[in-house]
Amino acid sequence: MIRLLLPTFILAAAITPQCGSSSTTTPGSTTSSVQNFQAISVNAGPANNYFNGAFTTVTVCVPGQSSCQTIDGVLVDTGSSGLRVLASALTLALPQQADTTGAPVVECLAFLDGFTWGPVQTADIKLGGEQASAVPLQVIGGPGAPAIPSACSSNGAAEQTLDALGANGILGVGLFRQDCGPACVGVGSSNPGVYYACPASGCKITAQSLVRQVQNPVWLFPVDNNGVVIQLPAVATGGALTSTGMMVFGIGTQNDNPLGAAKVLTVDANGNLSTTYGSQTYAGSYLDSGSNGIFFLDTKTTGLPVCTDSNDFYCPLTLQAQSATIRGVNGATSAVTFNVGNLDALNGRFTAFSEVAGPNPGSFAWGLSFFFGRTIYTAIEGQSTSGGVGPYFAF
Amino acid sequence: MVKTPAASLARSAVLLLILFAPSRAFASLGGSSASVDADRVHAEGALMRIVRTDAYALHEMRSAAGTMVREYVNASGTVFAVAWDGPWLPDLRQVLGDHFDEYQAAMGTARRARRSRGAIGIDGPGLVVQMTGHPRAFSGRAYVPALLPQGVSLDSIK
Repeated sequence: MIRLLLPTFILAAAITPQCGSSSTTTPGSTTSSVQNFQAISVNAGPANNYFNGAFTTVTVCVPGQSSCQTIDGVLVDTGSSGLRVLASALTLALPQQADTTGAPVVECLAFLDGFTWGPVQTADIKLGGEQASAVPLQVIGGPGAPAIPSACSSNGAAEQTLDALGANGILGVGLFRQDCGPACVGVGSSNPGVYYACPASGCKITAQSLVRQVQNPVWLFPVDNNGVVIQLPAVATGGALTSTGMMVFGIGTQNDNPLGAAKVLTVDANGNLSTTYGSQTYAGSYLDSGSNGIFFLDTKTTGLPVCTDSNDFYCPLTLQAQSATIRGVNGATSAVTFNVGNLDALNGRFTAFSEVAGPNPGSFAWGLSFFFGRTIYTAIEGQSTSGGVGPYFAF
Repeated sequence: MVKTPAASLARSAVLLLILFAPSRAFASLGGSSASVDADRVHAEGALMRIVRTDAYALHEMRSAAGTMVREYVNASGTVFAVAWDGPWLPDLRQVLGDHFDEYQAAMGTARRARRSRGAIGIDGPGLVVQMTGHPRAFSGRAYVPALLPQGVSLDSIK
């Protein structure tokens, strides 16, 4: 019911933005009157090399000033936290974060398929009608970035260019307030080496307090700050050229973001839940709009053959219906069904597919394929919502 | 054989060399079992346990940053597989050893139009790498197919 009502409301709100604010008060909840949504679009992205990526627009401003830049083609990622922008996409000069000695602070953040390296700078971040002020973010690469230290390149491949990243930036609207968290506050060998101080003499790993870390901007909004709702329409079998949906800020804070009948699945300290497939349960499962498919198990377990030209994806001859049960740490479960299609048979010009899946031995990564036709809530750690305190996923 | 102070000193020097030599010299995957200790020292980690089976010995260590790394050593003392999980990636240059360059190169060629962005699967004749996860939760494994002892199930490498 809620799934039917929500798009209608959002659509109406999108057509008449001035009416997107409602002052109806639900007992026990804070209702803001800010435009708490913006469009997201699944397309080939700014490098024209992407599929199953949801892109949006972010406005960054010099803190406290009116000089701003709007950057499009930014990937919406519920699997990470914090805003990262390619230096090549940023024309606005933002203040550089420095340590107590005045040395610039530079970040190395490892993703699964590579790492981003570049300076930590500060901006006011505007999304829809929301604003987070003086937020540390990462500028990726650029001529101003120091040479990549070997401890950083040990994470794999650098994703420093538009071609490699496939996006002008990454908007991490995930489960956590900061990208690193308490681990990076410490000194010594327990520090995972995400933040570096880079004086002229060279870059060294530095301890970074929570407030100075790159921040998920959503939890710094004055209102609608407990999470995000990602909503993408269902796409037909065979996919679509593009798809357009909504990113709504806040959970249960306005009329357009109630949890409704969505089931709250809490996650462990690292942001994972578990998935049961057949008779086996697999820990280390997660929901991630920044993954471009449903990556799960292997051919031996699923019976699904990989593509002849790529081991990255499954290519069954005909559409294969699958089912699984996702379980939260709180014991709540959600039974889901999904299809696996033949990637090689899909239209090469299309960019939005619900049936794209691939192998991932021993684990489930519920990527963007899973998001189509669903309303997926990501609640931020420590933030109160109508469904309890984050972090959790709900759908 | 009479133990001379000189021989003892030489042995100590060799030990020190093993412990403190540049990590690349004692690369893990495909390296000798001595590299297991080098890895642990490099990660300032703690050895959690050693499990011996007929086919291999599993050395499990926990890095100071909280990532578990498991190294599988075959009967001839060669690390044939590594696996890891934790909030951060292990030092892949250290853990993959001489295969790290191959891994980086494979990641480069994987950048085709329809690449996976969600799970890493490198399936070469000389190196298999499988990785999953997101910031704050990564897991993966790598092995050299030719070094796998007979009868060892891939399911046990995790």
